[in-house]
Amino acid sequence: MTQSNDRLVGNSFRPGYRFQRYWDTSMALAFFFAEVGAGLFVVSLFLDLVPGMVLGLALAATLKPYFHLAHMGVPKKSWRAIARPDRSWVSRGAIAVGVLVATGALHILAQTVGVGLPPGVAAAIRYAALAAGIVVMCYQGFAMSASEAFALWASPLLPVASFLYASTAGVLLASIIGALAGHGPALAPGLIALLLVADLAVVAGILVAARRKSKGGAFSAELLLKGRYVRDFVGGALGVGLVLPLVAVVAGGDGLVLRIGAALAMLIGFFAFRLLMLRAAVYEPITHELAASIGLPARS
Amino acid sequence: MSGNPPLQNSLKPGKWVNSTCKMCLHSCSIRVHVTDGGVVNKIEGNPTNPSNAGKLCPKGNAGIMRHYDPQRFKQPLRRTNPEKGPGIDPGWEPIGWDEALDITAREIKRSLDKDPRLIMPSLEDFQKMHIWFWPLAIGNHNFYQSGGTMCGGAYHPLNGYIHSAFGAANDAKYCNYWISNGGGDGFSSHLHAAAAAHWVAKARVERGMKVVTVEPRMSIAGAKAEEWIPIRPATDRLFAMSLSHVLVNEGLCDYEFLRKDTNAPYLVGPDQFFVRDADGQIFVWDKAAGCAKRWNDPTLKNEHLALEGEYVVNGVKCRPAFQVYKDILRDASPEAMEKHTTVPAATVRRIAHEFAEAARIGETMTLEDGRTVPFRPAAYNYYRGAQGHKTGMQTNQAFQLVNMLVGNIDHPGGRCGVTITDGCVDNNHCQPGECGQMLGAPHQLGHMPPFAWPPNEYHLAGYFPVGVNGPHLNMLSYTEPEKYGITFKPDVLVNCHSNPVWSIQGPREKWIQFLKDMRFIVCVDVIPTEMTDFADIILPSSDYLETYNAVMIEPPYTEGICFRQPVTPPIYDTKSEEEIFFELSERLGVLDQYNEVINLILGFNQKPHLALEPGTKYSDRDIAERLGKLWNDKPIEWYIEHGHSSTERRLDKWYRPWEGLRLLFYIEDLPFQREQLRRQFEDAKVPFRDEWPFDDYQPLPTTVLDPLHYEPPEYNLYAITFKDIQMNFGESLSNPWIKDITYRDPVHTGLLLNTATARKMGFANGDIVLVESPYGKLYGRLTTAEGIHHETLGISNALSRTRNENRSVLMSGGHYNDLLPYDMKHTDGATGQPETTCKVKITKLADWPDFLKQGSTVYDFVDAIEKAEGKGGMH
Amino acid sequence: MAKMGMVFDLKACIGCNACVVACKQENSLPDGVFFTRTLSHDYGEYPNNKRVYIPTICNQCEDAPCETVCPSGATYTREDGIVMINSQKCIGCSSCAVACPYDMRTMLSDEMFQKGLFGTGQLTPFEEQGYDRYIAGTAAKCDFCSQRVDAGLTPACVSTCPTNARIFGDLDDPDSAPSQAIEKRGGRQPLPEKGTKPKVYYID
Repeated sequence: MTQSNDRLVGNSFRPGYRFQRYWDTSMALAFFFAEVGAGLFVVSLFLDLVPGMVLGLALAATLKPYFHLAHMGVPKKSWRAIARPDRSWVSRGAIAVGVLVATGALHILAQTVGVGLPPGVAAAIRYAALAAGIVVMCYQGFAMSASEAFALWASPLLPVASFLYASTAGVLLASIIGALAGHGPALAPGLIALLLVADLAVVAGILVAARRKSKGGAFSAELLLKGRYVRDFVGGALGVGLVLPLVAVVAGGDGLVLRIGAALAMLIGFFAFRLLMLRAAVYEPITHELAASIGLPARS
Repeated sequence: MSGNPPLQNSLKPGKWVNSTCKMCLHSCSIRVHVTDGGVVNKIEGNPTNPSNAGKLCPKGNAGIMRHYDPQRFKQPLRRTNPEKGPGIDPGWEPIGWDEALDITAREIKRSLDKDPRLIMPSLEDFQKMHIWFWPLAIGNHNFYQSGGTMCGGAYHPLNGYIHSAFGAANDAKYCNYWISNGGGDGFSSHLHAAAAAHWVAKARVERGMKVVTVEPRMSIAGAKAEEWIPIRPATDRLFAMSLSHVLVNEGLCDYEFLRKDTNAPYLVGPDQFFVRDADGQIFVWDKAAGCAKRWNDPTLKNEHLALEGEYVVNGVKCRPAFQVYKDILRDASPEAMEKHTTVPAATVRRIAHEFAEAARIGETMTLEDGRTVPFRPAAYNYYRGAQGHKTGMQTNQAFQLVNMLVGNIDHPGGRCGVTITDGCVDNNHCQPGECGQMLGAPHQLGHMPPFAWPPNEYHLAGYFPVGVNGPHLNMLSYTEPEKYGITFKPDVLVNCHSNPVWSIQGPREKWIQFLKDMRFIVCVDVIPTEMTDFADIILPSSDYLETYNAVMIEPPYTEGICFRQPVTPPIYDTKSEEEIFFELSERLGVLDQYNEVINLILGFNQKPHLALEPGTKYSDRDIAERLGKLWNDKPIEWYIEHGHSSTERRLDKWYRPWEGLRLLFYIEDLPFQREQLRRQFEDAKVPFRDEWPFDDYQPLPTTVLDPLHYEPPEYNLYAITFKDIQMNFGESLSNPWIKDITYRDPVHTGLLLNTATARKMGFANGDIVLVESPYGKLYGRLTTAEGIHHETLGISNALSRTRNENRSVLMSGGHYNDLLPYDMKHTDGATGQPETTCKVKITKLADWPDFLKQGSTVYDFVDAIEKAEGKGGMH
Repeated sequence: MAKMGMVFDLKACIGCNACVVACKQENSLPDGVFFTRTLSHDYGEYPNNKRVYIPTICNQCEDAPCETVCPSGATYTREDGIVMINSQKCIGCSSCAVACPYDMRTMLSDEMFQKGLFGTGQLTPFEEQGYDRYIAGTAAKCDFCSQRVDAGLTPACVSTCPTNARIFGDLDDPDSAPSQAIEKRGGRQPLPEKGTKPKVYYID
């Protein structure tokens, strides 16, 4: 029995770490599809890559809401999620998804069918779609970083990670779709590699920050790097998700097959990252910290 | 906000009913909320009772889950499956009340007509002594229930000698230094747990009362203590005697009290009896006159009574009783006792000094009733664990002598007697005895049956003239009838709210066979237990929210009647215990006898207009009404409105109720009883007279070691069992709310082994182990812990249930009681108290044995809680 | 207006969990749900080890993160400082549950209400009269028995606590029992570094 297991107390009336499982697989899937979809849409928007925009928007408009609704306790009242954009990142994100879907669809229609919009309006729609897309790429990170409950989450690097991961997925997918569609210059491997390295760096940053922030954060980092999630996190999220694509992109250059492989690996790793960021979050060793904060010696 | 429809249970439209809790055997006052729809939806403490002051323990809070337990017996049942055994479906068939009572009476009568001794009663309702004593109506003295020695076997008789009371409590109102030795009073268990915890917490928090807890496992009292002193199990007496050694040898005693208010100056001869003149008057030594005088000599002054020295009176060498104890204590120095107790001598010496200093010997206080009495705010509390040993009587006396030496008996802040009930408000429990002494009253629950050979009681009660019924001794008669001269074998068991097959020590297999040998078993109960699985007929009783009762049952700081009334009509086809036993009595033709027994037991004879009439059956309401009137003449309507007549204990009954009498520092009655019993054994030529433990009758405690310490050395650990407040007294573990809190508390989720000891012995947290004593075994899973003595295995009572028809009960790996002996070698000859500690060895197993792999066990439940990952807030 | 708060007296608390059961009674909590708990905290090495019982409850934070993150507006703070949930508005997104550093939120599920306290799949009359107030899928937590407070009573846990380890009252009133306890015995808040400003304090 490892020491970390000793400190996990489940639902007993003992002090120790407790997992959060309020946000779990459904939420990870919703986050994942929102970020992949929005990332693909935004990158495709830059590249004027209509199939990419369509696919990206489709992900953000279907799978993301589907899994988010699946997560909700009272799905039929979920429209209420938009009630408090003044303070809640969930509200802001929900609105952003709506704006993205609406303006994105209009933009695609304008591009393809050629709905006769005045140029100023068309541009406004494009910028609105872009802005909403960027919000959707980031807001999950903001929603998580807003929680002081988990040191693993409570970091400004979380939205950065969301943005970078979404961008990486977007760039990888857009480059494949572009190549398949015979659309323009494939994105340079250098940019993809740079994004993958940046992802790696920000993940490292999140872990370092978590460790420094509190015992709970250190415990989460330990779960990911040494404890029960080491295989899925180090092997999956980092190895398969970042290192493998990096090697493939650097070694394979523009090769489409390798690019597809790299994209698949990256998406697998991305989802692992999303899920494990939820699963490794532990409530601060509440009673240890509590004990210390009320002047009692904490159990080591 | 106001205006919103009420969602909280206590605010819904409905009524509050004042009643009394029965989730343990005590009687905290409750108020119960019933909705307009007739649903019981909240139970709270009744703040008007100065005992529990509106507070309730977790069990009291969980009463609704007993009331609405879907497994309650809903109508009389008859067994259809002739095969009996744990986990074997009895094949219950519902029958009508008349038929059930007829069958029961017929079967009882079949044996009763042959020999009343063939009936084995097992009637545990401690709030209804008129049910407990029903066997007297059929001329029967058998006993097979967990009251008696499974309770405070030695505690109660000794309290009877010291306080003329059933129980005793430290006076939390004034106490400033509280030693807690192997008992939960004031923290987790025993007398009115919520009430006692309330007043003790006030003393701790508001007055800074210091608590020193001496026990092998850190209990709640240990956790709350300023100092927890781990002690080797079954050596508590030696600890107390080492304290006394310091008190006596360093002049830390209340000598004025000992001279004036105790028999400590009475002169004791070499035969352990007081030195008397021809008229039986006891001699004391007058230091001023330099001669012996009779205790009542008018020229005597208390301050001249010798407590120490050796004298010759009428040619007999004698010593004051105090000197006798001082001589015994010579062997009990803290240094000598440390070898046994493992408590450092320096600690004992420090505690003795702190205790004596806190006792403020010499100080007095003036009470509201005008009396000026000694003020002794330091007291030694002890109970179940510390007292439950082979040498029970000596052990209890050793504890009380610590109190007596500092003069705190029945004084403010000290150790005060607690009566089980007073009957009438004006009854004083103390009576004069011989030669100025208070009458020792060891028989707080009535006298034991007279000596007879061959024995008339299956549990040999006639051989314990000052003891308590020892249900474990039934096993002696059962397994060795020839040796014990048994001429009859009980074949009908009458059971009410008792689970003896679970709660009595000794091997379960033999107890199960004992039950299987019964021709007929009737169980009166509310829910299925290990015991009801063996019944032939179930007579379902109504629960405490559906019936009347009135009881005063050893409230530590108050007196008066706690009144129970139906909050709701019975929700099933059930009857009160009274109705059942009056019906049976009538069918058996003993109704008049039963009414006489009740008049005697409940004291109705004291007010003849309350006495039950011959030929009449009474209801629970009738009995409750009379008990209320007996106390304070208030009609039942008054009790229905108020729910209790509890007031703070009247000062004249709480402090020095024995005023003018001398307390029994030296219990001469014990050698007297011993010699009388020895003569009876000799005269009757009882074949086992040479091995009977007469030596357990001692007028003062000795340093003899309990025999468990001499078990073979391979049994290298001590084992103890324990409860906390959520399991205080009776059944709780089928109650979902109690399960909720019990199996989340780390001390109840595994066998507790000291962390360092485990490391040394090669065990780890989570190891599955076989635990074997010389007498039995169980299986369990280790929890390594710091809060347990380094030679001790702590086995929670929550890990002791066995498979039965109650599906809410989680099976564990056996029962602690299986590890305990039931023989006379480990039974106190004086009280019948059996040894409740044992020596064990543990062996690591690769996996659970097969029988624990089927079905849900405690450990599965614990795992589900401890390994849960907080999904959806399930915590 | 008042600021209702609670002080836990760690010297008094005996870890009996009467509070836990009283809460389950008063609020008809379904199986496995606790609005308050008492943790048993061991520290130190034998024979100098100690144990403290630490009651925990919703801290009714002044800067309640559960309220800030609530996207539907279901969580709100009453004028007397009690943090409430309007179940009718709650959408069950669990944002509050992951925002509360104290793990004091519970997400109610259909299963909790269906299996029953005895795990038989059937509800007792007690459960039937009590579960109406809940909506499966929504978040639930302690609200200091707000309706009892409105009726001038103390929360059920406070009322039953045998040792008076729970001291309840208005923290804005310097003479209230909790304010006095905090001042005289040095009340400390749980996890103050989380910046939530709990209205629950511990004294020992």
